[in-house]
Amino acid sequence: MQLSDSEKKMLDGGDGEAKRVAMEGLVQLGEAFGAERMVEIGYAHVHAGMALYLHDVELIEEIAGKGARMAVPTSTNIANADMEGWRLTGAPEKLARLQRRAQTAHESMGSACSFTCTPYWAGHWPTWNTHMTSIESTVTIFCNSVLGAKSNRDGYFAVYAAVAGRYPMFGYHLDANRLGTHRFRAIGEITGTSDFSCLGFHIGSIAGDGVPVIEGLRRRPTLDELDALGAGMATSGGVTLFIIPGVTPPYADVAQSFGGVRPPEAAVVGRAEIDEVYRRFCTATDQGFDIVHVGCPHASLEEMRDYARLLSGRKVAAGVEFWITTSRAVRTAAREQGLLAPLEAAGAKVISDTCPISCHFARTVSPDPALGVAPPPIRAVVIDSAKQAKYVRDMIRCDTLLTGTEEAIATALQGRFVPRQRAS
Amino acid sequence: MPRTLHGRGIVKGQASGPALVAQEAVSFLGDVDIRSGAIVGDLPSVRNANVRGRVLIMPYTRGSAGAWRFLYQLFKHDNHPVALVIGSLPDPSVVQGAILAGIPIVCELDHDPVACIANGAMVRVDGDTGTVDIR
Repeated sequence: MQLSDSEKKMLDGGDGEAKRVAMEGLVQLGEAFGAERMVEIGYAHVHAGMALYLHDVELIEEIAGKGARMAVPTSTNIANADMEGWRLTGAPEKLARLQRRAQTAHESMGSACSFTCTPYWAGHWPTWNTHMTSIESTVTIFCNSVLGAKSNRDGYFAVYAAVAGRYPMFGYHLDANRLGTHRFRAIGEITGTSDFSCLGFHIGSIAGDGVPVIEGLRRRPTLDELDALGAGMATSGGVTLFIIPGVTPPYADVAQSFGGVRPPEAAVVGRAEIDEVYRRFCTATDQGFDIVHVGCPHASLEEMRDYARLLSGRKVAAGVEFWITTSRAVRTAAREQGLLAPLEAAGAKVISDTCPISCHFARTVSPDPALGVAPPPIRAVVIDSAKQAKYVRDMIRCDTLLTGTEEAIATALQGRFVPRQRAS
Repeated sequence: MPRTLHGRGIVKGQASGPALVAQEAVSFLGDVDIRSGAIVGDLPSVRNANVRGRVLIMPYTRGSAGAWRFLYQLFKHDNHPVALVIGSLPDPSVVQGAILAGIPIVCELDHDPVACIANGAMVRVDGDTGTVDIR
Protein backbone atom coordinates (compact mmCIF):
# COMPACT_ATOMS: atom_id res chain seq x y z
CA MET A 1 0.00 0.00 0.00
CA GLN A 2 1.06 3.58 -0.65
CA LEU A 3 1.11 5.44 2.65
CA SER A 4 1.42 9.19 3.18
CA ASP A 5 4.15 10.58 5.42
CA SER A 6 1.71 11.06 8.29
CA GLU A 7 0.45 7.47 7.88
CA LYS A 8 4.01 6.14 7.82
CA LYS A 9 4.70 8.06 11.02
CA MET A 10 1.69 6.41 12.67
CA LEU A 11 2.82 2.98 11.48
CA ASP A 12 6.34 3.57 12.79
CA GLY A 13 5.07 4.49 16.23
CA GLY A 14 5.84 8.19 15.95
CA ASP A 15 2.33 9.05 17.13
CA GLY A 16 2.24 6.59 20.00
CA GLU A 17 1.44 2.95 20.56
CA ALA A 18 -2.33 3.15 20.01
CA LYS A 19 -1.99 4.67 16.54
CA ARG A 20 0.78 2.22 15.68
CA VAL A 21 -1.40 -0.78 16.55
CA ALA A 22 -4.35 0.76 14.70
CA MET A 23 -2.37 1.54 11.55
CA GLU A 24 -0.66 -1.86 11.56
CA GLY A 25 -4.06 -3.57 11.59
CA LEU A 26 -5.51 -1.30 8.91
CA VAL A 27 -2.50 -1.83 6.61
CA GLN A 28 -2.85 -5.63 6.91
CA LEU A 29 -6.58 -5.34 6.17
CA GLY A 30 -5.95 -3.03 3.22
CA GLU A 31 -3.27 -5.29 1.74
CA ALA A 32 -5.53 -8.34 2.10
CA PHE A 33 -8.19 -6.58 0.01
CA GLY A 34 -5.89 -4.94 -2.50
CA ALA A 35 -6.35 -1.35 -1.31
CA GLU A 36 -3.88 1.01 -2.96
CA ARG A 37 -4.03 3.67 -0.27
CA MET A 38 -5.77 4.93 2.85
CA VAL A 39 -8.58 7.48 2.87
CA GLU A 40 -9.32 10.01 5.62
CA ILE A 41 -12.59 9.23 7.34
CA GLY A 42 -15.04 11.71 8.82
CA TYR A 43 -17.01 9.53 11.21
CA ALA A 44 -16.82 6.18 13.01
CA HIS A 45 -19.42 3.97 14.69
CA VAL A 46 -17.49 1.54 16.86
CA HIS A 47 -17.69 -1.52 19.07
CA ALA A 48 -19.03 -0.80 22.54
CA GLY A 49 -17.09 -3.54 24.31
CA MET A 50 -19.54 -6.31 25.18
CA ALA A 51 -19.91 -7.44 28.78
CA LEU A 52 -21.46 -10.78 27.77
CA TYR A 53 -18.29 -11.93 25.99
CA LEU A 54 -15.09 -12.95 27.70
CA HIS A 55 -12.35 -10.29 27.60
CA ASP A 56 -14.35 -8.05 25.27
CA VAL A 57 -14.73 -4.98 27.52
CA GLU A 58 -11.01 -5.46 28.23
CA LEU A 59 -10.31 -5.17 24.50
CA ILE A 60 -11.62 -1.58 24.64
CA GLU A 61 -9.78 -0.92 27.91
CA GLU A 62 -6.54 -2.15 26.34
CA ILE A 63 -6.59 0.27 23.43
CA ALA A 64 -7.70 3.09 25.76
CA GLY A 65 -4.81 2.13 28.04
CA LYS A 66 -2.40 2.57 25.12
CA GLY A 67 -3.41 6.24 25.07
CA ALA A 68 -5.87 6.03 22.17
CA ARG A 69 -7.92 9.12 21.33
CA MET A 70 -10.60 9.08 18.66
CA ALA A 71 -9.37 11.13 15.69
CA VAL A 72 -12.89 11.64 14.29
CA PRO A 73 -16.44 12.00 15.71
CA THR A 74 -17.17 8.52 17.07
CA SER A 75 -20.39 6.92 18.30
CA THR A 76 -20.58 3.61 20.18
CA ASN A 77 -22.71 0.62 19.20
CA ILE A 78 -25.34 -1.17 21.25
CA ALA A 79 -24.15 -2.84 24.47
CA ASN A 80 -25.11 -5.83 26.62
CA ALA A 81 -26.90 -4.00 29.45
CA ASP A 82 -28.82 -0.81 30.17
CA MET A 83 -26.14 0.89 32.24
CA GLU A 84 -28.69 3.03 34.05
CA GLY A 85 -31.86 0.91 34.09
CA TRP A 86 -30.41 -2.61 34.21
CA ARG A 87 -32.72 -3.54 37.11
CA LEU A 88 -35.71 -3.13 34.76
CA THR A 89 -34.34 -5.93 32.60
CA GLY A 90 -33.45 -8.36 35.39
CA ALA A 91 -29.74 -8.22 34.51
CA PRO A 92 -27.27 -9.05 37.29
CA GLU A 93 -25.62 -5.97 38.78
CA LYS A 94 -22.15 -7.37 38.06
CA LEU A 95 -22.96 -7.42 34.35
CA ALA A 96 -24.05 -3.77 34.39
CA ARG A 97 -20.91 -2.81 36.33
CA LEU A 98 -18.66 -4.54 33.80
CA GLN A 99 -20.55 -2.88 30.95
CA ARG A 100 -20.00 0.51 32.62
CA ARG A 101 -16.24 -0.08 32.47
CA ALA A 102 -16.51 0.01 28.68
CA GLN A 103 -18.22 3.38 28.95
CA THR A 104 -15.41 4.71 31.15
CA ALA A 105 -12.82 3.52 28.62
CA HIS A 106 -14.75 5.10 25.73
CA GLU A 107 -15.08 8.37 27.64
CA SER A 108 -11.32 8.49 28.06
CA MET A 109 -10.91 8.10 24.28
CA GLY A 110 -13.42 10.84 23.51
CA SER A 111 -16.14 8.59 22.03
CA ALA A 112 -19.69 9.91 22.17
CA CYS A 113 -21.16 7.25 24.47
CA SER A 114 -24.31 6.70 22.45
CA PHE A 115 -24.55 2.89 22.90
CA THR A 116 -27.10 2.48 20.14
CA CYS A 117 -27.65 0.81 16.77
CA THR A 118 -29.24 4.07 15.48
CA PRO A 119 -26.60 6.74 16.16
CA TYR A 120 -28.18 8.94 13.47
CA TRP A 121 -31.25 9.49 15.70
CA ALA A 122 -28.73 10.52 18.38
CA GLY A 123 -27.25 13.23 16.17
CA HIS A 124 -24.53 11.42 14.17
CA TRP A 125 -25.46 12.29 10.61
CA PRO A 126 -22.61 11.79 8.12
CA THR A 127 -23.27 13.40 4.76
CA TRP A 128 -22.75 12.57 1.08
CA ASN A 129 -19.24 11.32 0.23
CA THR A 130 -18.11 11.16 3.85
CA HIS A 131 -15.85 8.11 4.16
CA MET A 132 -16.63 6.36 7.42
CA THR A 133 -16.53 3.03 9.24
CA SER A 134 -19.20 1.13 11.13
CA ILE A 135 -19.33 -2.07 13.13
CA GLU A 136 -23.12 -2.22 12.88
CA SER A 137 -24.45 -3.38 9.52
CA THR A 138 -27.71 -1.44 9.98
CA VAL A 139 -25.71 1.77 10.44
CA THR A 140 -23.57 0.94 7.42
CA ILE A 141 -26.56 0.44 5.15
CA PHE A 142 -28.44 3.55 6.38
CA CYS A 143 -25.41 5.81 6.02
CA ASN A 144 -24.59 4.41 2.54
CA SER A 145 -28.12 4.30 1.16
CA VAL A 146 -29.94 7.23 2.77
CA LEU A 147 -27.15 9.69 3.55
CA GLY A 148 -24.74 8.88 0.70
CA ALA A 149 -21.76 8.31 3.01
CA LYS A 150 -19.26 5.53 2.17
CA SER A 151 -18.84 2.58 4.50
CA ASN A 152 -18.08 -1.14 4.52
CA ARG A 153 -19.54 -3.61 7.00
CA ASP A 154 -16.72 -3.59 9.52
CA GLY A 155 -15.91 -5.42 12.71
CA TYR A 156 -13.60 -4.45 15.56
CA PHE A 157 -11.35 -2.52 13.15
CA ALA A 158 -13.83 0.38 13.20
CA VAL A 159 -12.03 1.25 16.47
CA TYR A 160 -8.67 1.24 14.66
CA ALA A 161 -10.09 3.44 11.89
CA ALA A 162 -11.46 5.88 14.49
CA VAL A 163 -8.09 6.06 16.27
CA ALA A 164 -6.08 6.48 13.06
CA GLY A 165 -8.68 8.62 11.25
CA ARG A 166 -8.02 6.44 8.20
CA TYR A 167 -9.49 3.44 6.41
CA PRO A 168 -8.09 1.42 3.48
CA MET A 169 -9.72 2.25 0.13
CA PHE A 170 -11.62 -0.89 -0.84
CA GLY A 171 -15.16 -2.18 -1.12
CA TYR A 172 -17.90 0.44 -0.84
CA HIS A 173 -15.34 3.26 -0.52
CA LEU A 174 -14.83 2.93 -4.28
CA ASP A 175 -17.54 4.37 -6.55
CA ALA A 176 -17.10 1.47 -8.98
CA ASN A 177 -18.58 -0.85 -6.33
CA ARG A 178 -21.55 1.43 -5.61
CA LEU A 179 -23.71 0.41 -8.56
CA GLY A 180 -26.84 -1.70 -8.78
CA THR A 181 -26.67 -5.47 -9.28
CA HIS A 182 -30.33 -6.44 -8.70
CA ARG A 183 -33.55 -4.66 -9.66
CA PHE A 184 -36.86 -4.76 -7.79
CA ARG A 185 -40.19 -3.09 -8.58
CA ALA A 186 -42.47 -2.51 -5.60
CA ILE A 187 -46.21 -2.74 -6.18
CA GLY A 188 -49.19 -1.83 -4.00
CA GLU A 189 -49.41 -0.02 -0.69
CA ILE A 190 -46.43 -0.53 1.60
CA THR A 191 -46.63 1.46 4.80
CA GLY A 192 -45.10 1.54 8.26
CA THR A 193 -41.75 0.36 9.55
CA SER A 194 -42.75 -3.29 10.02
CA ASP A 195 -43.87 -3.66 6.39
CA PHE A 196 -40.65 -2.03 5.21
CA SER A 197 -38.60 -4.30 7.47
CA CYS A 198 -40.30 -7.35 5.90
CA LEU A 199 -39.79 -5.93 2.40
CA GLY A 200 -36.09 -5.44 3.21
CA PHE A 201 -35.81 -8.95 4.60
CA HIS A 202 -37.29 -10.41 1.40
CA ILE A 203 -35.05 -8.31 -0.88
CA GLY A 204 -31.91 -9.12 1.14
CA SER A 205 -32.59 -12.84 0.89
CA ILE A 206 -32.51 -12.53 -2.92
CA ALA A 207 -29.85 -9.85 -3.36
CA GLY A 208 -27.31 -11.51 -1.01
CA ASP A 209 -24.26 -9.28 -0.97
CA GLY A 210 -25.34 -7.41 -4.10
CA VAL A 211 -26.71 -3.87 -4.47
CA PRO A 212 -30.51 -3.90 -4.92
CA VAL A 213 -32.14 -1.04 -6.82
CA ILE A 214 -35.76 -0.49 -5.77
CA GLU A 215 -38.22 1.39 -7.93
CA GLY A 216 -42.00 1.78 -7.94
CA LEU A 217 -42.57 2.87 -4.33
CA ARG A 218 -45.72 5.02 -4.33
CA ARG A 219 -44.15 7.66 -2.12
CA ARG A 220 -40.81 8.54 -0.61
CA PRO A 221 -40.48 6.34 2.49
CA THR A 222 -40.11 8.14 5.82
CA LEU A 223 -36.68 8.12 7.50
CA ASP A 224 -37.94 5.47 9.95
CA GLU A 225 -39.20 3.34 7.05
CA LEU A 226 -35.85 3.65 5.24
CA ASP A 227 -34.08 2.58 8.43
CA ALA A 228 -36.35 -0.46 8.77
CA LEU A 229 -35.89 -1.36 5.08
CA GLY A 230 -32.09 -1.35 5.36
CA ALA A 231 -32.07 -3.26 8.65
CA GLY A 232 -34.16 -6.01 7.03
CA MET A 233 -31.80 -6.31 4.04
CA ALA A 234 -28.65 -6.30 6.15
CA THR A 235 -30.12 -9.13 8.24
CA SER A 236 -31.24 -11.63 5.61
CA GLY A 237 -28.38 -10.86 3.24
CA GLY A 238 -25.06 -9.10 3.26
CA VAL A 239 -26.50 -6.00 1.63
CA THR A 240 -24.27 -2.98 2.33
CA LEU A 241 -25.93 -0.45 -0.01
CA PHE A 242 -29.40 -0.24 -1.54
CA ILE A 243 -30.40 2.32 -4.10
CA ILE A 244 -33.82 3.99 -4.31
CA PRO A 245 -33.43 6.34 -7.28
CA GLY A 246 -34.32 9.87 -6.20
CA VAL A 247 -33.62 9.03 -2.54
CA THR A 248 -30.11 7.53 -2.45
CA PRO A 249 -27.44 10.13 -3.30
CA PRO A 250 -26.44 10.66 -6.06
CA TYR A 251 -28.72 8.35 -8.07
CA ALA A 252 -31.49 10.20 -9.90
CA ASP A 253 -32.92 7.31 -11.91
CA VAL A 254 -32.64 3.59 -12.65
CA ALA A 255 -30.21 4.05 -15.54
CA GLN A 256 -27.75 5.97 -13.37
CA SER A 257 -28.14 3.39 -10.59
CA PHE A 258 -26.68 0.74 -12.90
CA GLY A 259 -23.89 3.02 -14.15
CA GLY A 260 -25.12 3.12 -17.72
CA VAL A 261 -25.06 -0.68 -18.05
CA ARG A 262 -28.36 -2.14 -19.24
CA PRO A 263 -30.42 -2.80 -16.07
CA PRO A 264 -31.61 -6.37 -15.45
CA GLU A 265 -35.30 -7.31 -15.49
CA ALA A 266 -37.07 -6.17 -12.33
CA ALA A 267 -38.45 -8.68 -9.81
CA VAL A 268 -41.87 -7.59 -8.55
CA VAL A 269 -42.25 -7.30 -4.77
CA GLY A 270 -45.36 -6.41 -2.81
CA ARG A 271 -47.95 -7.58 -0.31
CA ALA A 272 -47.48 -11.31 -0.98
CA GLU A 273 -43.72 -11.23 -0.29
CA ILE A 274 -44.17 -9.02 2.80
CA ASP A 275 -46.90 -11.27 4.23
CA GLU A 276 -44.68 -14.30 3.70
CA VAL A 277 -42.03 -12.75 5.99
CA TYR A 278 -44.67 -12.10 8.68
CA ARG A 279 -45.76 -15.74 8.36
CA ARG A 280 -42.19 -17.03 8.53
CA PHE A 281 -41.63 -15.31 11.87
CA CYS A 282 -44.98 -16.22 13.44
CA THR A 283 -43.73 -19.53 14.82
CA ALA A 284 -45.53 -19.75 18.17
CA THR A 285 -48.44 -22.16 17.83
CA ASP A 286 -50.30 -21.59 21.09
CA GLN A 287 -49.71 -17.81 20.83
CA GLY A 288 -48.46 -17.66 24.41
CA PHE A 289 -45.75 -15.01 24.82
CA ASP A 290 -43.71 -13.38 27.58
CA ILE A 291 -42.43 -10.15 26.06
CA VAL A 292 -43.74 -7.59 23.58
CA HIS A 293 -40.95 -5.51 22.08
CA VAL A 294 -40.84 -2.44 19.83
CA GLY A 295 -37.81 -0.31 18.97
CA CYS A 296 -35.61 -2.43 16.67
CA PRO A 297 -33.55 -0.72 15.39
CA HIS A 298 -33.53 1.63 18.43
CA ALA A 299 -36.55 3.95 18.20
CA SER A 300 -36.37 7.50 16.87
CA LEU A 301 -38.07 10.40 18.67
CA GLU A 302 -40.86 10.23 16.07
CA GLU A 303 -41.44 6.58 16.93
CA MET A 304 -41.46 7.45 20.65
CA ARG A 305 -44.17 10.01 19.87
CA ASP A 306 -46.20 7.33 18.06
CA TYR A 307 -45.83 4.92 20.98
CA ALA A 308 -46.94 7.64 23.44
CA ARG A 309 -50.00 8.41 21.30
CA LEU A 310 -51.01 4.74 21.23
CA LEU A 311 -50.33 4.06 24.93
CA SER A 312 -51.32 7.33 26.60
CA GLY A 313 -54.04 6.82 29.23
CA ARG A 314 -54.01 3.02 28.74
CA LYS A 315 -52.51 0.11 30.64
CA VAL A 316 -50.37 -2.80 29.52
CA ALA A 317 -52.25 -6.04 30.29
CA ALA A 318 -51.42 -7.84 33.53
CA GLY A 319 -48.62 -10.37 33.13
CA VAL A 320 -47.28 -8.81 29.90
CA GLU A 321 -43.73 -7.46 29.81
CA PHE A 322 -43.63 -4.58 27.29
CA TRP A 323 -40.26 -3.21 26.18
CA ILE A 324 -39.50 -0.09 24.18
CA THR A 325 -35.80 0.11 23.27
CA THR A 326 -34.10 3.32 22.19
CA SER A 327 -30.88 5.28 22.62
CA ARG A 328 -30.02 7.34 25.69
CA ALA A 329 -30.15 10.49 23.59
CA VAL A 330 -33.68 9.77 22.35
CA ARG A 331 -34.83 8.64 25.80
CA THR A 332 -33.58 11.94 27.24
CA ALA A 333 -35.29 13.94 24.49
CA ALA A 334 -38.50 11.97 25.03
CA ARG A 335 -38.34 12.70 28.74
CA GLU A 336 -37.88 16.42 28.10
CA GLN A 337 -40.84 16.45 25.73
CA GLY A 338 -43.15 14.74 28.20
CA LEU A 339 -43.34 11.50 26.20
CA LEU A 340 -41.72 9.23 28.75
CA ALA A 341 -44.20 9.81 31.58
CA PRO A 342 -47.28 8.50 29.71
CA LEU A 343 -45.31 5.48 28.45
CA GLU A 344 -44.12 4.57 31.92
CA ALA A 345 -47.59 5.26 33.42
CA ALA A 346 -48.99 2.75 30.90
CA GLY A 347 -46.55 0.15 32.21
CA ALA A 348 -44.01 0.19 29.37
CA LYS A 349 -40.33 -0.35 30.17
CA VAL A 350 -38.26 2.18 28.23
CA ILE A 351 -34.80 0.66 27.96
CA SER A 352 -31.67 2.12 26.40
CA ASP A 353 -28.14 0.86 25.55
CA THR A 354 -29.38 -2.66 24.74
CA CYS A 355 -32.34 -4.73 23.43
CA PRO A 356 -33.73 -8.28 23.89
CA ILE A 357 -31.17 -9.95 21.60
CA SER A 358 -28.25 -7.84 22.87
CA CYS A 359 -28.93 -8.34 26.58
CA HIS A 360 -28.54 -11.35 28.87
CA PHE A 361 -31.52 -13.09 27.19
CA ALA A 362 -29.15 -14.31 24.44
CA ARG A 363 -28.03 -17.93 24.70
CA THR A 364 -25.14 -17.67 22.23
CA VAL A 365 -22.91 -15.52 24.45
CA SER A 366 -19.95 -16.62 26.60
CA PRO A 367 -19.67 -14.39 29.67
CA ASP A 368 -17.28 -14.81 32.56
CA PRO A 369 -19.10 -17.32 34.82
CA ALA A 370 -18.39 -15.05 37.81
CA LEU A 371 -20.96 -12.55 36.47
CA GLY A 372 -23.78 -14.94 37.31
CA VAL A 373 -25.60 -14.46 34.01
CA ALA A 374 -28.53 -16.81 33.45
CA PRO A 375 -30.92 -16.25 30.54
CA PRO A 376 -34.56 -16.34 31.76
CA PRO A 377 -36.96 -18.87 30.22
CA ILE A 378 -38.89 -17.15 27.41
CA ARG A 379 -41.63 -18.89 25.39
CA ALA A 380 -42.05 -16.31 22.65
CA VAL A 381 -41.40 -12.64 21.87
CA VAL A 382 -43.92 -10.45 20.03
CA ILE A 383 -41.99 -8.14 17.76
CA ASP A 384 -42.49 -5.54 14.99
CA SER A 385 -39.12 -5.94 13.25
CA ALA A 386 -37.92 -8.72 10.94
CA LYS A 387 -34.34 -8.08 12.08
CA GLN A 388 -35.14 -8.61 15.76
CA ALA A 389 -37.32 -11.62 14.86
CA LYS A 390 -34.47 -13.34 13.01
CA TYR A 391 -32.01 -12.82 15.86
CA VAL A 392 -34.51 -13.70 18.60
CA ARG A 393 -34.78 -17.08 16.89
CA ASP A 394 -31.00 -17.45 16.44
CA MET A 395 -29.78 -15.99 19.75
CA ILE A 396 -32.56 -16.26 22.35
CA ARG A 397 -33.67 -19.45 20.59
CA CYS A 398 -37.38 -19.05 21.29
CA ASP A 399 -40.50 -18.55 19.16
CA THR A 400 -41.47 -15.22 17.62
CA LEU A 401 -44.71 -13.51 16.68
CA LEU A 402 -43.99 -10.81 14.08
CA THR A 403 -46.61 -8.13 13.56
CA GLY A 404 -47.03 -4.39 12.88
CA THR A 405 -46.07 -1.68 15.38
CA GLU A 406 -49.66 -0.66 16.21
CA GLU A 407 -50.64 -4.33 16.42
CA ALA A 408 -47.71 -5.07 18.77
CA ILE A 409 -48.86 -2.28 21.07
CA ALA A 410 -52.46 -3.54 20.83
CA THR A 411 -51.08 -6.97 21.78
CA ALA A 412 -49.44 -5.50 24.88
CA LEU A 413 -52.65 -3.70 25.88
CA GLN A 414 -54.98 -6.65 25.25
CA GLY A 415 -52.68 -9.44 26.41
CA ARG A 416 -53.63 -11.35 23.26
CA PHE A 417 -51.63 -11.55 20.02
CA VAL A 418 -52.89 -9.21 17.28
CA PRO A 419 -51.49 -10.19 13.87
CA ARG A 420 -50.56 -7.60 11.22
CA GLN A 421 -53.72 -6.27 9.60
CA ARG A 422 -53.48 -6.22 5.83
CA ALA A 423 -53.05 -2.72 4.47
CA SER A 424 -56.22 -1.58 2.69
CA MET B 1 0.49 -34.07 -4.66
CA PRO B 2 2.57 -30.93 -3.99
CA ARG B 3 4.38 -30.79 -0.64
CA THR B 4 4.25 -27.00 -0.58
CA LEU B 5 1.38 -24.75 -1.61
CA HIS B 6 1.94 -21.10 -2.46
CA GLY B 7 -0.68 -18.42 -1.95
CA ARG B 8 -1.24 -15.00 -0.47
CA GLY B 9 -0.40 -14.56 3.17
CA ILE B 10 -3.03 -12.04 4.27
CA VAL B 11 -2.59 -12.33 8.04
CA LYS B 12 1.01 -12.54 9.21
CA GLY B 13 2.56 -15.11 11.53
CA GLN B 14 3.58 -18.78 11.54
CA ALA B 15 1.87 -21.80 13.04
CA SER B 16 1.88 -25.59 12.75
CA GLY B 17 -0.67 -28.24 13.56
CA PRO B 18 -2.67 -31.16 12.26
CA ALA B 19 -4.99 -30.22 9.40
CA LEU B 20 -8.76 -30.16 9.81
CA VAL B 21 -10.18 -30.10 6.30
CA ALA B 22 -13.72 -28.80 5.82
CA GLN B 23 -15.18 -29.47 2.40
CA GLU B 24 -17.88 -26.86 3.07
CA ALA B 25 -17.70 -23.09 3.67
CA VAL B 26 -17.42 -22.21 7.36
CA SER B 27 -19.19 -19.40 9.22
CA PHE B 28 -17.50 -18.59 12.51
CA LEU B 29 -20.82 -17.16 13.70
CA GLY B 30 -22.83 -20.28 14.27
CA ASP B 31 -20.72 -23.18 12.97
CA VAL B 32 -18.19 -23.32 15.82
CA ASP B 33 -19.03 -23.34 19.55
CA ILE B 34 -16.78 -20.78 21.23
CA ARG B 35 -16.92 -22.52 24.61
CA SER B 36 -15.55 -25.83 23.30
CA GLY B 37 -14.16 -25.31 19.79
CA ALA B 38 -16.53 -28.02 18.54
CA ILE B 39 -18.04 -27.80 15.07
CA VAL B 40 -21.77 -27.51 15.68
CA GLY B 41 -22.92 -26.22 12.29
CA ASP B 42 -24.23 -28.31 9.43
CA LEU B 43 -20.81 -29.23 7.99
CA PRO B 44 -20.97 -32.96 7.21
CA SER B 45 -17.24 -33.32 6.38
CA VAL B 46 -16.12 -32.18 9.84
CA ARG B 47 -19.11 -33.15 11.97
CA ASN B 48 -18.16 -33.52 15.67
CA ALA B 49 -14.60 -32.38 15.00
CA ASN B 50 -12.88 -29.71 17.10
CA VAL B 51 -10.95 -26.75 15.66
CA ARG B 52 -8.75 -26.31 18.73
CA GLY B 53 -5.04 -26.43 17.84
CA ARG B 54 -5.78 -27.42 14.23
CA VAL B 55 -4.86 -25.78 10.95
CA LEU B 56 -8.36 -25.26 9.59
CA ILE B 57 -8.62 -25.69 5.82
CA MET B 58 -11.77 -24.61 3.95
CA PRO B 59 -12.83 -23.61 0.44
CA TYR B 60 -14.23 -20.20 1.48
CA THR B 61 -15.88 -18.44 4.41
CA ARG B 62 -19.59 -17.78 4.68
CA GLY B 63 -20.09 -14.08 5.32
CA SER B 64 -21.19 -12.55 8.57
CA ALA B 65 -20.35 -9.11 9.92
CA GLY B 66 -20.01 -10.69 13.38
CA ALA B 67 -17.42 -13.33 12.42
CA TRP B 68 -14.51 -11.36 13.93
CA ARG B 69 -15.97 -11.55 17.43
CA PHE B 70 -16.47 -15.30 17.31
CA LEU B 71 -12.95 -15.93 16.02
CA TYR B 72 -11.57 -13.67 18.76
CA GLN B 73 -13.76 -15.40 21.36
CA LEU B 74 -12.43 -18.82 20.27
CA PHE B 75 -8.95 -17.41 20.91
CA LYS B 76 -9.89 -15.98 24.31
CA HIS B 77 -11.37 -19.34 25.31
CA ASP B 78 -8.22 -21.06 24.02
CA ASN B 79 -10.28 -23.07 21.54
CA HIS B 80 -9.02 -21.44 18.34
CA PRO B 81 -7.55 -22.97 15.20
CA VAL B 82 -3.82 -22.10 15.03
CA ALA B 83 -3.99 -21.05 11.38
CA LEU B 84 -6.47 -20.78 8.50
CA VAL B 85 -5.90 -21.91 4.92
CA ILE B 86 -8.75 -20.72 2.71
CA GLY B 87 -9.25 -21.32 -1.01
CA SER B 88 -10.59 -17.85 -1.73
CA LEU B 89 -10.28 -14.43 -0.08
CA PRO B 90 -12.28 -14.54 3.17
CA ASP B 91 -14.82 -12.07 4.49
CA PRO B 92 -13.25 -8.82 5.89
CA SER B 93 -14.67 -9.63 9.30
CA VAL B 94 -12.76 -12.95 9.38
CA VAL B 95 -9.55 -11.10 8.53
CA GLN B 96 -10.15 -8.59 11.35
CA GLY B 97 -10.77 -11.37 13.87
CA ALA B 98 -7.69 -13.31 12.75
CA ILE B 99 -5.44 -10.25 13.05
CA LEU B 100 -6.80 -9.57 16.55
CA ALA B 101 -6.29 -13.17 17.59
CA GLY B 102 -2.92 -13.56 15.85
CA ILE B 103 -4.13 -16.43 13.65
CA PRO B 104 -2.19 -16.46 10.34
CA ILE B 105 -4.19 -16.82 7.10
CA VAL B 106 -3.01 -17.97 3.69
CA CYS B 107 -5.55 -17.85 0.84
CA GLU B 108 -5.80 -17.87 -2.97
CA LEU B 109 -3.29 -20.74 -3.36
CA ASP B 110 -1.79 -22.28 -6.51
CA HIS B 111 -3.48 -25.60 -5.69
CA ASP B 112 -6.85 -26.32 -4.09
CA PRO B 113 -5.94 -26.82 -0.40
CA VAL B 114 -9.12 -28.78 0.30
CA ALA B 115 -8.10 -31.36 -2.33
CA CYS B 116 -4.35 -31.38 -1.59
CA ILE B 117 -4.28 -31.62 2.19
CA ALA B 118 -5.36 -34.77 4.00
CA ASN B 119 -7.25 -34.53 7.23
CA GLY B 120 -4.79 -34.92 10.11
CA ALA B 121 -1.66 -34.23 8.05
CA MET B 122 0.88 -32.03 9.83
CA VAL B 123 0.86 -28.61 8.17
CA ARG B 124 3.01 -25.54 8.65
CA VAL B 125 1.51 -22.19 7.64
CA ASP B 126 3.57 -19.06 7.06
CA GLY B 127 1.40 -15.96 6.73
CA ASP B 128 4.42 -13.78 5.95
CA THR B 129 5.56 -15.71 2.87
CA GLY B 130 2.18 -17.19 1.90
CA THR B 131 3.42 -20.78 2.00
CA VAL B 132 1.78 -23.92 3.34
CA ASP B 133 4.12 -26.91 3.94
CA ILE B 134 2.60 -30.37 4.21
CA ARG B 135 4.75 -32.85 6.15
